[in-house]
Amino acid sequence: MTPNAASSSGPSRRGFLTSTAAATAAVAVGSPLLAACGGGGQEGRKEGTTSGKEAAKILPAFVASSVVTPDIPAKNGSAAGFTRAIPTAELKTSVPKTLGSGGKLKIMSPFWGTPPRGDNPYYTAMNKAVGVDVTWQNQDGVTYDQKLGAVLASSEIPDVVVVPGWNLMGRIPSAVNAKFADLGPYLSGDKVKDYPNLAAVPTEAWQRGIFGGRLRGIPMPAPYVTDIAPLYRKDLFAKKGYTVPGSPDEFLAWAKEATDAKSKLWACDDMKWTAFHVFGVLSGGDKALWWNLEGDKLVNRIETEQYLEALEWTRKLYAAGVVHPDAVQGESGGDAGNRFTAGEVLVYNQNISDWWGKTAEQRTQNADFEMEAFDYFGPDGGDPTLWAVQPSNIFTFVSKKASEQQIKDLLALCNFCAAPYGTKEFMLTAYGVEGTDYTVEKGLPVKTQQGINEVNGAYDYTGNPAPYIAYPDLPQVSKGMVEWQQRMGAFTKKSSFFGLTVTEPTRWANLADDFEQLEDDVVRGRKKISDVQQAVSDWRSRGGDGLRDWYRKLLDDNGSAD
Amino acid sequence: MSHSTVPRGTTEAQTSPQDEDGTTRTPKVPAPSGKGGRGPRAKKAGRLPFGIRWRRDRTLILMTVPALLLVLVFNYVPILGNVVAFQDYDPYLSENGFVAIFESPWTGFEQFERIFADSAFWHAVRNTFVLFFLQLVLYFPVPILLALLINSVVRPRVRAVAQAIMYLPHFFSWVLVVTVFMQIFGGAGIIAQTLRRHGYEGFDLMTNPEVFKYLVTAETVWKDAGWGIIVFLAALSSVSNDLYEAAAMDGAGRWRRMWHVTLPALRPVIALLLVLRVGDALTVGFEQLLLQRQAVGVDASEVLDTYVWWNGIRNQDFSYAAAAGLVKGAVGLGLVLTANKVAHLMGEQGVYKK
Repeated sequence: MTPNAASSSGPSRRGFLTSTAAATAAVAVGSPLLAACGGGGQEGRKEGTTSGKEAAKILPAFVASSVVTPDIPAKNGSAAGFTRAIPTAELKTSVPKTLGSGGKLKIMSPFWGTPPRGDNPYYTAMNKAVGVDVTWQNQDGVTYDQKLGAVLASSEIPDVVVVPGWNLMGRIPSAVNAKFADLGPYLSGDKVKDYPNLAAVPTEAWQRGIFGGRLRGIPMPAPYVTDIAPLYRKDLFAKKGYTVPGSPDEFLAWAKEATDAKSKLWACDDMKWTAFHVFGVLSGGDKALWWNLEGDKLVNRIETEQYLEALEWTRKLYAAGVVHPDAVQGESGGDAGNRFTAGEVLVYNQNISDWWGKTAEQRTQNADFEMEAFDYFGPDGGDPTLWAVQPSNIFTFVSKKASEQQIKDLLALCNFCAAPYGTKEFMLTAYGVEGTDYTVEKGLPVKTQQGINEVNGAYDYTGNPAPYIAYPDLPQVSKGMVEWQQRMGAFTKKSSFFGLTVTEPTRWANLADDFEQLEDDVVRGRKKISDVQQAVSDWRSRGGDGLRDWYRKLLDDNGSAD
Repeated sequence: MSHSTVPRGTTEAQTSPQDEDGTTRTPKVPAPSGKGGRGPRAKKAGRLPFGIRWRRDRTLILMTVPALLLVLVFNYVPILGNVVAFQDYDPYLSENGFVAIFESPWTGFEQFERIFADSAFWHAVRNTFVLFFLQLVLYFPVPILLALLINSVVRPRVRAVAQAIMYLPHFFSWVLVVTVFMQIFGGAGIIAQTLRRHGYEGFDLMTNPEVFKYLVTAETVWKDAGWGIIVFLAALSSVSNDLYEAAAMDGAGRWRRMWHVTLPALRPVIALLLVLRVGDALTVGFEQLLLQRQAVGVDASEVLDTYVWWNGIRNQDFSYAAAAGLVKGAVGLGLVLTANKVAHLMGEQGVYKK
């Protein structure tokens, strides 16, 4: 499946883009929100997590950076919003001298889209500015998990490997601990100050980079407010005079009214993810987040009433025939975003970055196109209960075989790419070479066709600043996205293992693998809610209760992230 | 006659160019000298001293070495990896996945016990056999019929065009095939939308678990039946026109000629392909089914290959998947031996002969 077309078109900016790609890929693979986490290590710890004092010993120091004051400061776990373009003359310098040694680095990284030729002006300029000769081994992001397993099992591991959190399944976490180097000696405590942009990465993101008791991953920071938003066609809503539904019942009633299959129009796409948010189901993003301490007992999301209610409501949508038939088909039915822009569905849920992506994409194709995210409502139409997602879910690792110089070169690269908005480094990383990859029109940077082809994802994961949203070309979208995050952030709670990277014992690592398939069967009416209840009771007896005790002990021994 | 058609149609590539001079048409008695008797049955000349045979055949043997090497490296060496089925294999235990085999703990038949106790496995087995029999009945005869049809077309131009159209879908990827079917038979496809425009209920063939097996078979027919006719056409082209003329002289009509000349000529090829197909019975499509997994659910779409993939690659339970693969291989071997035996009993050659 093609990645989000939007992420490679229009004047773009990374950060959010990358999470679009990530979400799209996850959708395509069909296991979006399932991810185990890694821990363990050459020095003994194979499973569990690291937090509190022990974590404090290895976490890098935090030194805030304030190059440009955000137009909308971060709040409630949102990203910071920048709505204004910074003129070239006012750009600051955050990396005054080249840190790289001129050495070579092979980096394997997922890629959504078509990678450009390796010797293009953008790569050349980046490599020169960083002082490292990077050779990219880009792999299709959609099938990255399959490549990753094989590459890690070979003796020829690339110097650097980028691993998305949702690919940390099965035995991959143990591979991470066995094959990747400890970056603590270069980054822990004040050592990170050699790399000021990395020192400005929030501590909660770094905490996620602790795998197997060691700081192994350079994290890509993300807002902890949920990344999945229900998106609707504002233009078509206005045309038909619809108001945005405010409760699950209202939504169902509206959907029945809005669906007109005869004219190839369905109210919505698959709304399962939305349902999970509306009904307050614990986050499905990361396996540790599935657990929460309720009263005196750890409860897993699949054991909750809310989980069943969410599935039941989604099932009703399917049964009412308001879901697009191609969405019923799932993975092979094509991309939900395309049905949305084609006007075949009015509502779909996706990573919130689609708000910008689709708007930018449609600007030249459909002048009337207008979309927005609507606020989650609670089960009774009141305030929702939302659960925080992990504050980082893509990591860059260095092979254990890499030399000290190579590790330093990678840190130089990450430091460069983590430059904040308003710096020269940011502009080069995000837009490429001025005059070649982008031009400044009416004060706004606009990518050329060459820029669209070349500056489309390569340097996106190896180093990122604190979460931000910066689309100066569409300021109202940037504003809308940040404000949505802040409103939703006010309803967001953190579950017991928020912010921690937990490695489950391998014997239980696959225990819940089949629940997503079961969910899809249930909402489409092929299985019943009682089948879910049966599966949950099987899950308990096959190890779920053991896993509960194991997590309980973890919580008692380590405490939570803070 | 059956002897003369089999090598023509199917083994030409493996035998020597000398076949072209027609010597294998009288293969019953191997020629005593090096000249001529180099067809497949020349092996029977086992009484000749090794030195003579070596000198006679060395060029040919040399020519097979590269192919043998490929088979060895890509087919036989990996078979050794199956030992992980008796382990709790973790490819990340050591330097690389290969060395890790030596360090992973042995678990005996534990993985097999897990498999046999897993209802999902038996479900996959059942789906596999259902699909196999359905395809045997609904798919296997189609290329034969098409070949007869094409063969009866006399005008070369029409024939070439028809063949090209039938071959074409073979080169489409499964993604494309599924998409084409979706655009036609899906819930928002051409047929459903046309029905709706005329006031009828639409339907959705793509997401109906009950008809899924027929859908899969239809997709296979559309994609590969055209390609499958090649072997049969080759066999048909080797039928001597004399036979048809003789039959016509004796007063045989169109149908009788087909029954008494054409079909007997195809019999060995049909038998061979049938044996091969049965040996492959447990392989009923992988990508095609994986793609449509979500559309109809696991219950309808899980077959052995997708089951192995899901557990091995997706869930990284390598030993378990390897064990399931071994079970599949063992059953497949049993099936091909049985089918071959049946072919012998029917007087055909089958895949091999002792």
